[in-house]
Amino acid sequence: MSTMNEKITEELRQKARQLLESGRVAAFLGYASGSVPMVMRPFVARTPEDADRLEWNSFCVLNLANYLPALLKSFEPPRRPNEPPPQGPLPKVGVVATGCWSRNMVVQIQENQVERERLVIIGISSRGMVDRKKVQALIAHRDVTAVKEGDNTLVVAGPGFEEEINRWDVVRDNCKSCVHPDPVIFDDMIGELKGERDLPDRFSQVEEIEALSAQERWKWFTSEIQSCIRCYACRNACPLCYCPTCFVDDSRPQWVGKSIDSVDTAIFHILRAYHCAGRCTDCGSCESACPMGIRMRILTKKLQKDVLQLYGIEAGMSVQEPLPLTTYKKDDPQDFILTESLKGEKK
Amino acid sequence: MNETERKQGEWEPKIIAFLCNWCSYAGADLAGVSRYQYPPSLRIVRVPCSGRVSANMILDALRSGADGVLVSGCHPGDCHYISGNYYARRRFAILKRFLEFVGIESDRVNFSWISASEGEQFAQVATEVTERVKRLGPARHLVKEF
Amino acid sequence: MLPRAGFQQWLQELSGQFEIFGPKKNEKAIVSWQRLEGGELPDMAPGVPKGSIKTFFFPQPETLFEFTARPKQDDSFRLREPEKRQKPRLVVGVRPCDARSVLLNSMPYKEDPYFQQNRQNVILVGLACRNGCSTCFCTWTGGSPVGTEGLDILVFELEDGFVLEPVTERGESLLQKASSARDATEAERQAVQEIRDNAPTSLPEAMEPASQLVQKDLMALYNAPFWQQLSDSCINCGTCTFLCPTCYCFDIQDETLRGKGRRIRYWDSCMFPLFTLHASGHNPRGEKVKRVRNRFMHKLKYFPERFGPLSCVGCGRCVRDCPVNIDIRQVMKELLAV
Ligand code: SF4
Ligand code: SF4
Ligand code: SF4
Ligand code: SF4
Ligand code: SF4
Repeated sequence: MSTMNEKITEELRQKARQLLESGRVAAFLGYASGSVPMVMRPFVARTPEDADRLEWNSFCVLNLANYLPALLKSFEPPRRPNEPPPQGPLPKVGVVATGCWSRNMVVQIQENQVERERLVIIGISSRGMVDRKKVQALIAHRDVTAVKEGDNTLVVAGPGFEEEINRWDVVRDNCKSCVHPDPVIFDDMIGELKGERDLPDRFSQVEEIEALSAQERWKWFTSEIQSCIRCYACRNACPLCYCPTCFVDDSRPQWVGKSIDSVDTAIFHILRAYHCAGRCTDCGSCESACPMGIRMRILTKKLQKDVLQLYGIEAGMSVQEPLPLTTYKKDDPQDFILTESLKGEKK
Repeated sequence: MNETERKQGEWEPKIIAFLCNWCSYAGADLAGVSRYQYPPSLRIVRVPCSGRVSANMILDALRSGADGVLVSGCHPGDCHYISGNYYARRRFAILKRFLEFVGIESDRVNFSWISASEGEQFAQVATEVTERVKRLGPARHLVKEF
Repeated sequence: MLPRAGFQQWLQELSGQFEIFGPKKNEKAIVSWQRLEGGELPDMAPGVPKGSIKTFFFPQPETLFEFTARPKQDDSFRLREPEKRQKPRLVVGVRPCDARSVLLNSMPYKEDPYFQQNRQNVILVGLACRNGCSTCFCTWTGGSPVGTEGLDILVFELEDGFVLEPVTERGESLLQKASSARDATEAERQAVQEIRDNAPTSLPEAMEPASQLVQKDLMALYNAPFWQQLSDSCINCGTCTFLCPTCYCFDIQDETLRGKGRRIRYWDSCMFPLFTLHASGHNPRGEKVKRVRNRFMHKLKYFPERFGPLSCVGCGRCVRDCPVNIDIRQVMKELLAV
């Protein structure tokens, strides 16, 4: 009996091989297995033989949309900054996409970072990816040398131990609170669409913090980010972060200092998250990439919650709908504007 | 507040006010010309439009030691660039809630609409913001020290 | 030989003279370098702590000098030396690979006053590895799980206590202050010898020493075909370089605020595009593949050509925490096969 993931892997290889063989795509972006347990390697298959290295399991945590703008560009003939793009169709890239990854692709399309026509998207409805930090915590941070995945279990082994754990227990927080597991754009699917999940408490992680006092929230925030080493893996793992010059690298003015000074780190996290407002799909790539276990995703989740509450939009659900912070309505809520609230008080 | 009170050591907050060129800055000007009284705590930065003010700028003010920030633009519908303040309104609404979320007191960062003819309103807002920030005391959280 | 309590007591006594640091679990259960107080023992689980030991020698940031920045005042733009640390530091529980990295970094920083001063003010008390963890490969790079390079004292953990061996003179003099120390018994000596003999073989597969890369043709390595595929996965973050004990690149900036300023030196990474960006806009390592190649070529070829040893101690941090599993061990193998 093969597991669900083995079946998906099989089908994925087959579809990717076909795409590469037929020349429909110049490359196929997926995952290959890595050299250490629980870390998968994003992998660009360029030949039909490469396709056999593709792999699918619960550790595909880095959002593949992240690679698309540069990968597509690498197949364009080189040109100068102001030269117009070449005429005629450009080579395409195949990519596998779950719900959130496909939504990030939608955002990239809306922001003119990728062209829909140049993508061949193989959709997979996500069952949630595993947080390897949760696994490590469950087995008391012992050295893991092998992990075998069943449909609902993980068997984790290391020197002198082997333990079976329930997969759902170690699924990432963002996946547990995800309501859109299905890809929103795709050209082909592996498996069925699952439909929206009904999760009334999807923002509970945020609500817990909202319930604290300002002082406690500041304490939570600063202690959460305290061990940040400013390696920017969170930024670089994020498909929204493609600015040629990130605000952290601006030097005139310098918005944020470069060392691990606590104020600079705080400002880095506030601004990084805020730049993702209305665009973040809660894919969790940032959090999964962080070597220091910082849960910066709670910040973007808060932004997501407010955008949804105030403007009724979730990022990347449709190519037609504009991104929430690139549009407006004349009657948007404005009770936070001092002159408006003062008016209210007078009445 | 007058000069003597300040000399007596009462703390006067520093508030950075980003005012749009077309409405709020002119409003502030009118407040001055019309001799409306308001506290001397505001440091005014003239910007082309409230839509020009980014989160980066607001945080930079706090990082550099501002105790409070005020951003003010034209009333909705009156923007010189037609829609700058509408976009700004969305961005500010989200930013204000977000700063509160990480523990920045709500009254530190303020937004208002003030037109070129609202000198009196400008003085009112300046007073109100100053009072609110005073109640909070000097800002500490995002002030960089070395 | 010191029993557990004696070791703690020794640390306790030294805490008057030193600030003591060691590996310790933080609130996120990540083992990192932290202050140890009141004779607290370091975390001694196999392998290295998360963060790099370089923070003690090459801190993030190092203040090079301070200045006043008030125009038209008497003291404007006058430079000042930064305030010195009050006490020297003592780091316990240092794995031999980490200690060795300090020596390696000291080569390019031979004439750097800040680095060398920090070296004088930091005592390293090592902890021999009985067995490494699955990502350790110090033996491939010229180190050993029981190596003493860079250490002042090497500690062996036994069942009921510790055997401490001085490596340097200053280590020796600190050991003399251990009041409850006694000579190791024959059995204890034997136990130590066993660790010495067995530890190196406890590591995963041995490999043709990567030091042979020095003999390979530089251009052949540089033009090897695998770089493109390797770099396809990289996201160009600073995780590998910032966790790495032997990455030592920095950038310098002046920070000025409210009439005061300081010039700081802070970690930079050859993985960042900004690292090599010229003021003209030209970037000699503008493409990702060039940056990824540089990191490995620097560690495995350029550095050894200039200084002798590889600029990698095999601690495995980059292997453990690269979010996309770029594994220097595989790169070494690929390069050796060129
Ligand atoms: S954090 Fe902001 S400036 Fe930096 S890359 Fe992301 S969106 Fe751009
Ligand atoms: S901020 Fe994090 S969760 Fe949001 S899109 Fe970026 S990587 Fe995904
Ligand atoms: S990935 Fe983690 S450690 Fe690195 S900058 Fe982001 S939050 Fe900080
Ligand atoms: S090799 Fe890994 S850790 Fe290093 S920059 Fe690339 S993705 Fe980041
Ligand atoms: S390159 Fe990797 S294994 Fe080598 S010293 Fe640096 S972090 Fe350790």
